[in-house]
Amino acid sequence: MAGVSAKIMLFATLRKKYGVKDLNVECDGTIFNLIENASKILGGSFFDDVYDKNQGKVRENIIFMINGRNIKDLGEKIEIKDNDVIAIFPPIAGG
Amino acid sequence: MRLKNGYMGKILRADLSTGTLKVEPTSEDVAKKYLGGKGYAVYLLYQYLKEYESKGVPPAEIDPLGPENMLIFATGPGTGVPGFPSSGRYHVMALRSPLTGSIGSGNSGGEWGPFLKFSGFDAVVVEGASDKPVYIAIVDGEAELRDASALWGKNVFDTTRILKKKVGGENTSVACIGPAGENSAHMACIVNDEHRAAGRTGLGAVMGSKKLKAIVVSGSEKVPVAEPDKFREISKRCLDAMRKNTVTGEGLPTYGTAVLVNIINTAGGLPYKNWQTGVNPDAEKISGETLAGTYLTQRRACWGCIVGCGRVTSVKSGPFQILASEGPEYESVWALGSSTAVKDLDAVVKANHYCDELGLDPITLGSTIAAAMELNERGYIPEEDLQGLDLKFGNAAALVESVWRTAYKAGFGKYLALGSKKLCEVYGHPELSMSVKGLEMPAYDPRAIKGIGLNYATANRGGCHVTGYTVSPEILGIPEKIDPLKLEGKAKWVKIFQDFTCVVNSTVNCLFTTFALSIKDYAELLSAVTGWNLTEDDILKIGERIYNLERVIINRYGFDGKDDTLPERLIKEKMPEGPAKGQVVELEKMKGEYYKLRGWINGKPSPEKLKELDIKL
Repeated sequence: MAGVSAKIMLFATLRKKYGVKDLNVECDGTIFNLIENASKILGGSFFDDVYDKNQGKVRENIIFMINGRNIKDLGEKIEIKDNDVIAIFPPIAGG
Repeated sequence: MRLKNGYMGKILRADLSTGTLKVEPTSEDVAKKYLGGKGYAVYLLYQYLKEYESKGVPPAEIDPLGPENMLIFATGPGTGVPGFPSSGRYHVMALRSPLTGSIGSGNSGGEWGPFLKFSGFDAVVVEGASDKPVYIAIVDGEAELRDASALWGKNVFDTTRILKKKVGGENTSVACIGPAGENSAHMACIVNDEHRAAGRTGLGAVMGSKKLKAIVVSGSEKVPVAEPDKFREISKRCLDAMRKNTVTGEGLPTYGTAVLVNIINTAGGLPYKNWQTGVNPDAEKISGETLAGTYLTQRRACWGCIVGCGRVTSVKSGPFQILASEGPEYESVWALGSSTAVKDLDAVVKANHYCDELGLDPITLGSTIAAAMELNERGYIPEEDLQGLDLKFGNAAALVESVWRTAYKAGFGKYLALGSKKLCEVYGHPELSMSVKGLEMPAYDPRAIKGIGLNYATANRGGCHVTGYTVSPEILGIPEKIDPLKLEGKAKWVKIFQDFTCVVNSTVNCLFTTFALSIKDYAELLSAVTGWNLTEDDILKIGERIYNLERVIINRYGFDGKDDTLPERLIKEKMPEGPAKGQVVELEKMKGEYYKLRGWINGKPSPEKLKELDIKL
């Protein structure tokens, strides 16, 4: 698949830990590759913070949104497209 | 026999018209059906309503600011029990709200709730009205009505500090009103421990109308527990679960509630410029991350809470400098910042500080200021009414000035003090009030989060998020993820959240525990404290009973299915941008299913439902 470029935005403790608000990352259109490539910039622990290798998917408690939509609401086949904005939140809440 | 095990067994009844104080027993029968806190208060309010009806006084003619209104401060069996998760709270209810004409209801943290129990009482019921300012002092089981003339006019901080010193004793806490309550601003709140408030529906104005400046509680009695060993074990398990839970153990302690600003904005549901859209281009500037990085000095927990979501903040320099404050939490940041399009967080922190100092609900106030800004920008407010107040979206100085003007009803403040519904009616555009049943909706646009729209529409006290916080499954994925833009299953979630929240508000502990604890945990905790064998079904039934009796009360004021609705903007105007672009709230589809699940007909509980819940009218 042709390479696409997406903007990743980090929030809360993830932003604090990695010291960046956002970064542009190239990938092959899969979430796995996007996170893998982001880890090359941010450090290997980023992959483990966000992705569950054993389950082969984004960690259950991470809120991972593509253009404002949670991937859990987007069905099985998810493709990241050029200029997509990816927002990644650690577990948070309020009221 | 005096009710114990979770209860102190006594209720203080203060008749301010005659200046008499009476002590009554807490009823075991009522407690078993309604627990305490909100539930017990709803039960008592219904008895008052029946009494008025029997005397020929129609409920709809009860003046919210007249002596006939009732004000109840109530704790529950969990309140003040060491080890009962986050149980530093109490609930306040009034027969009628001056803001909405419906039932008055608010909930607050801090220390006041537990300290009321340590002073020997489960609840305080306030009837009538005094001719001169008074306060109630409850110390070690003895209650006194005292003169508060010297305190009238003082702000919340001064009142609290003076009374804490004057009354003294172990575990002393003050719940009071500021100038906003004294002046009957319709969104005045009751503030305890300087920065915690029973914020919504104008309860502070009710207290002010009774000339009741404060209730001071102090004592060192312990709350008895039926099965201490069993309770200790369940408590340990629940507290461990909260510590390990990524939300209650990490997210909330680190960032407080304002961390929601960015995620709700990302989902396209952060109301901006009086709900004209759900995307705020400046959300980052007023976010929890910015607050934590720039303003936060330390955390502050309520009594007995291991979460500690409270923020101690300061604005270090500039025109909005504050040496030390608390907050703002998410709703305040949104109402004072996003809804008004004010992106200067210094100003938002200052406006929030003034709300605490003067005794105002930031949600209703911020929303009312935002509505006034839209009215003004559309040319609907005559210049002479504004008296130089430049109410334009984004004007930070006008925001801060509006707070004290409202509290003192100075200049245009007399209109702001009415709340958005009456304000917009005055200027001929009721459609610009973003309220339900007269109560301004909080910080989630239901065009992007559909379930919360059904909850706003059907919440008994009006536009309220914490009546049934479906944002939890819809956005945060707790306890499971559901799609915020779909309608399926929303009615079921709204009902469960509304019923369970009634249990939490009657326990009384913090709703945030429900991010980590289940209904089963509550059943076990409450069983061990009270000695009653409560199952999950019992718990939900109690919640449902409370919600239905509260609904019966608002029905008596004339609220029914026609009022279970949303502002036209959310039903007819498509969301203009963001992930929810093109969406409206398809309310009627969800409402039909909800009524069916509730057993309601046109917003009224059916006779069969009331019988099933053992509610005798």
